[in-house]
Amino acid sequence: MNPQGRWSREVVAVLRKELRTEWRTKTGLMTGGLYGVCLVLTVVFALINRNVNYFYKATGDHPLQDVCASLIWSIVLFASLLSLPRAFLAEEENGTADLLRLMARPHAVFWGKTLFNLFQTWIGGLLLGGLFVAAVGLDVRHPWLFVLCLLAGGAAVAGAVTLCGAIVAQAANRTALAGAIAIPLLWPLLQWGVAGLQSAIGTGLLRDGISAATGMVCYAVVGLVVGPYLYAAVWKS
Amino acid sequence: MRVESLGKRYGRRWLFRDVTFDLEKGQRLAILGDNGSGKSTFLRLLAGLLTPTEGRVVPPEGDPRARLGYAALEMALYAPLTVDEHLALAADLRGCESRADELLDMVGLDHARSLPAAQLSTGMKARLKLAMAVQTRPTVLLLDEPGAALDEKGRALVARIAEEQTQRGTLVVATNDPIERELATHEIVLE
Repeated sequence: MNPQGRWSREVVAVLRKELRTEWRTKTGLMTGGLYGVCLVLTVVFALINRNVNYFYKATGDHPLQDVCASLIWSIVLFASLLSLPRAFLAEEENGTADLLRLMARPHAVFWGKTLFNLFQTWIGGLLLGGLFVAAVGLDVRHPWLFVLCLLAGGAAVAGAVTLCGAIVAQAANRTALAGAIAIPLLWPLLQWGVAGLQSAIGTGLLRDGISAATGMVCYAVVGLVVGPYLYAAVWKS
Repeated sequence: MRVESLGKRYGRRWLFRDVTFDLEKGQRLAILGDNGSGKSTFLRLLAGLLTPTEGRVVPPEGDPRARLGYAALEMALYAPLTVDEHLALAADLRGCESRADELLDMVGLDHARSLPAAQLSTGMKARLKLAMAVQTRPTVLLLDEPGAALDEKGRALVARIAEEQTQRGTLVVATNDPIERELATHEIVLE
């Protein structure tokens, strides 16, 4: 088998392991998924019988729509943050890291787990975003931009969390270190995510939304390019 | 496999220092010592799972994932994956044949192929780890207390694996068991 064929076989093996484990344990679903659905329901209960698409004619303000953009992004982001770190941290916490180190190459493990993280954030983001829009009755002026922001943002979050998880996986005080590293990594995503969704809903300029989506795509690319090398550097104990 | 001036320290405490040896084909080395003397750490250094504080381990030539086999009691398996899936995963990651039929028959787990690791007994997990360790027909086989969780048949299996390994390469066993000690042609005692 040629080297490329071998590499893809390894990546697919790691991805298959992650998918099987998640399917059988439902860990991501029970953490991020449940959290996201509960938050959406909480917002729905608060906004029952209100028209979220209302705007003040005198000023042109759309306060509820702006808040909805922020809420959607917060729900998607934090649902991802709850479930993503498991992919890397779980190996150290469950004691299976040695087994993986004996059999696998670090780049293959990184890409297999990252593909799983991407899959998880995309499915979760689109489902939770769609559920929010449908449940609250939010008008989305540019659906394509809405989907693009969720996908680009999901990829950026997956890249950032994967990087963060790879760095802290072997640290003694993982939780504190993860928090310290995550804040500066996620800060730009918070701003871009909200700006992008506001533009998609129609309360912001379209060009601002496209800029935000572009920023998130570039962020994702940087994370995914740097990630494998960083992961290889911390591969051994 | 060659080991040159190998040493490992945790904090200010040295587990061992200046260990040097050269293992040739057909040799079987026993690592002996009291609890906490560093036997498992030594084996993990040989397996490449830890970085030594000083010295180095020169592994056998070729891809270490294929040339080195390692099995230890404390090494965890993936609880949701079945016995078959563990061997398939190992084969895919190492780029070799699964040999599931042959290996599971050898270690006596043929009847448990579709059981997830969470449902295996400690002895069955130990047998699965042995199967995974010898899957690639490694040049160097590292076993950490292989008989600890095994019954008499299991210990006979370890002896058979040790004999086969001698034809193929070398064996290193970390143990306190006098029967496993007898499998070795050479000994190192860690104090």
